[in-house]
Amino acid sequence: MTRRPNPGRDAQFDRELRFHIEKLIEEKIAAGLPPHEARRQAALEFGGSEQLKEELRDVYRVRVVESSMRNLRSALRFIRKSPSFSATIIATLALGIGANTAVFSAIDAIILRPLPFPNGDQLVQLDQYAAKTSNPGMHVAPARLEDWNRMNSTFQAMTGYYLNDGSETSGPLPERITQALVAPRFFDVWGIRPARGRAFSEQEELANGPRAAVISDRLWRQRFGRDPNAVGKQLRIEGVTFSIVGITPPSFRFPERTVDFWTPVPVDSPVMRSSSPDARRATWYTVIGRLKPGVTEAQARDDLARVQAQLGNEYPQTDSRLAVKIDSLKRLIVGDTQRSLWILFGSVSLLLLIACTNIAALLLARTAQRQREISIRYSLGASRASIIAQLLTEVSVLAVAGSLVALLLAGAASQVFHALSRNLPRVEEIRLNGTLVLYSAGCAIFTTLLCGLFPAIRATRRSLAGSLAEHGRTQVSGRHPLQWILVSAQVALAVTLLVGAGLLLRSFQALGRVSPGFDPDHVLTFRISGNWAETVNLERLRQRMNRDLDALRSLPGIAGAATALALPGVPFGNRSEFKVTGQPSDPDQKIIATSRVVSAGYFETMHIPLLDGEPCRESLIGVAVVNRRFAETYLGTRLALGNHLTFVPPNPYMPSAEIRGIVADAREEGLQNEPAPTVYLCQSAPVPSPAFLVRTYGEPTAMAQAVRRKIHQVEPSRTVYQISPLEDDLRDSFAENRMRTTLLTFFAVTAILLACLGLYGTLTYVVNLRRREVGLRLAIGAERTQIAGQFLNEAFRSSLFGCAGGIALAVVSTRVLAGMLYGVTALDVTTFVAVVMLVLATGVLSALWPAMRAARLDPMQVLREE
Amino acid sequence: MPPEKSDLLQGTLDMLILKIVALGPVHGYGISLRIRQISKDVLQVQQGSLYPALHRLEKRGWLKAEWGQSDNGREAKFYSLSPKGRKQLAEEESNWQRLAGAVSDILRTRPTEAES
Repeated sequence: MTRRPNPGRDAQFDRELRFHIEKLIEEKIAAGLPPHEARRQAALEFGGSEQLKEELRDVYRVRVVESSMRNLRSALRFIRKSPSFSATIIATLALGIGANTAVFSAIDAIILRPLPFPNGDQLVQLDQYAAKTSNPGMHVAPARLEDWNRMNSTFQAMTGYYLNDGSETSGPLPERITQALVAPRFFDVWGIRPARGRAFSEQEELANGPRAAVISDRLWRQRFGRDPNAVGKQLRIEGVTFSIVGITPPSFRFPERTVDFWTPVPVDSPVMRSSSPDARRATWYTVIGRLKPGVTEAQARDDLARVQAQLGNEYPQTDSRLAVKIDSLKRLIVGDTQRSLWILFGSVSLLLLIACTNIAALLLARTAQRQREISIRYSLGASRASIIAQLLTEVSVLAVAGSLVALLLAGAASQVFHALSRNLPRVEEIRLNGTLVLYSAGCAIFTTLLCGLFPAIRATRRSLAGSLAEHGRTQVSGRHPLQWILVSAQVALAVTLLVGAGLLLRSFQALGRVSPGFDPDHVLTFRISGNWAETVNLERLRQRMNRDLDALRSLPGIAGAATALALPGVPFGNRSEFKVTGQPSDPDQKIIATSRVVSAGYFETMHIPLLDGEPCRESLIGVAVVNRRFAETYLGTRLALGNHLTFVPPNPYMPSAEIRGIVADAREEGLQNEPAPTVYLCQSAPVPSPAFLVRTYGEPTAMAQAVRRKIHQVEPSRTVYQISPLEDDLRDSFAENRMRTTLLTFFAVTAILLACLGLYGTLTYVVNLRRREVGLRLAIGAERTQIAGQFLNEAFRSSLFGCAGGIALAVVSTRVLAGMLYGVTALDVTTFVAVVMLVLATGVLSALWPAMRAARLDPMQVLREE
Repeated sequence: MPPEKSDLLQGTLDMLILKIVALGPVHGYGISLRIRQISKDVLQVQQGSLYPALHRLEKRGWLKAEWGQSDNGREAKFYSLSPKGRKQLAEEESNWQRLAGAVSDILRTRPTEAES
């Protein structure tokens, strides 16, 4: 088709038609008519040329809207006509897209979206640490925070906070209330403004200024019943009265979800005096900074390293060994969850791929049955493109329906994530939104093309379609390699997922079998509210702790009670450097150990055996117990007792401790971690609210009420909170692990079910196509077992190929699980063998029914059908 | 008086056009002239049907079109058959022969034959 480039199509029509009219006129003049009459008659004969031109334009117009409406109508008709087929596809897609969207919703909320603050990506957390031990989480002295804030050049501002427990005593039992004491600039750094009222004034930040509090949205709702006049009212906590100046917006859940109200730390208190060594040693604040726009973390790190070096020169005694750590707040909050989520996303994407493959196979079978319809449409003059468009419309209608159901599933996903892992960061931000709708629409388009295009192209091949009228009868069909390849692909993907899930499950089992070295069974844990102000008089705090412990021990049903700075079995990560007094310190072998602080009775309560010497006792201060690994590694078991340990750098609260006992190793830093060299410092009150551990004779939860009542007796103004069996605490520390394992297992099981469905569907289709052949063979004496065996064999072979492919895929892909596995390697033979056996067995099982049906065909009936 | 004119059977116009074009490149006027001449004025093609049909066939790839000089030097659009059109023509011709044969067989049937 050649077309002159310049004159448009309309001009071409004109020229073509004008030529025709002129020829007509010539013809009429030649027949003897006068020119004007000839012209008149020709025009008459030709009719309205405008109308004709419109018709010509029509020929070239592609009627997108009309033809897609027509396609849509015929697609709906098609779906109505084959409800079970359509339902299968919609359900498969809903599952595939739903699982995918659900995991994506978590990824979007947790990883992709910035923290819910204005320019949340500028927020970082800062910490000071002893450069030698890289011990994290030391917290920052208020004076140093002010120095950093003043001397840096890369931050808009920095602030800090610490939390304090209080009790609200207006009810029958005291209720715990959490106070955040904040450094200046607090709300500015977060970039939020109170929803009602205001932030603190300069006056309120002075020690003698008015006492002001900003309360949380939750406290406002629960305690003040959303009173619009709450600002200006009084809040009385433990004998201190604050006037409420502001209420935070509901979305402000940071720094901690539990904070009920915020109050300023006075900026003119002694602890702010920069030059006092005691003030510089106070470890109070978790520090948050807001970077200037465009400043990278690395730049900020360099900047603060410079600042801290300067401080080191100024205050060599306190600051010279310190370094500054900077972490993006988001990275800290999201933490390791990121990797788990990407792994889950990978597995749901495999699942979606399986679903697509499955549907492609179904559609292939389906369109093969529709050859006749397609060839009729061809002979009526439809173009290939229009037939493909129609077939794709059918799939896309199904895909859209599937993704709508999927959206509902994904909407419920946040509950699932919540249920599976209470501690999942930002879980409250997971919800249905525009991004997810777009995402699932994208999935629908992707699946339409992926599973619809190929069957459509294949079905509309001329060689297949053109000749249908001639042989309407079903031929003895040859092989169907394509269908079986699709089945193998599904099996391979399912095997990959199953191997991943199997490895995680086996790790989980292995963790369950680990002997932790302490006995978490029958132990109840809780905390009793305490105030940092109590640390001013450590002796009194210690007496209070011992009073509480004695009261607990007096309860019937309790075998032992103790306090500890951290729960055993839950990673805490407090590493310190020590020096043995009187020993020359060897710069090549530094003594680095986990330090834990425990009260008297801890080892007995936790059933950690004492190997030598004596355990912690109440009367002893400046005493330490070490574990066997510490003794073996640094001192030798024989020589350990009697040595004196001091912290490097020195710790004012713990000048020196004598090693009085050696205990067995226990996995207190997490069940998956080998016991590290550990120093236990014997002290019952390292912090105002340490963890209490009581060993019960019966069910630990059954003792919860008795414990509450007893503590209420002894400490009427204090709250007991976070009360739970130690076993639950341990389980919670594996929440992410469990979420990962549970979800991956669920996806893997779904995958194998889909693959079996695919196998079943394909075999059913093949059997149907070959009815005639089977009938003939039965008629001439083939054994029924032979027929069934042949089909089973076919299914088995494709499962086998699938398994082989799956193993290859798994070998490559289980590497991403490295570091998440415990007690198994990524190439664990048992898991691989078990998965292959499982897949082959389920494969054969799902092939059994169609194969049997083939064998039970009645030859006479089949032959008569034709 | 011109002889009685017959309407073209639905779908046969395309075949006739293909057939005429198969004889050699020809413009629209030429096609309508040839159909009239060959059918001895029995078949008359309206321009309103002819041109849409031509363009449809061209779009479908059965006809090729080219601008060229007509006999008196004027520019005209000449249509010729593409290989695809040639195949289509063969198919339609044989279909038509079968159909026409069947119809005339039926029309030739005499009462006695039908009864036996």
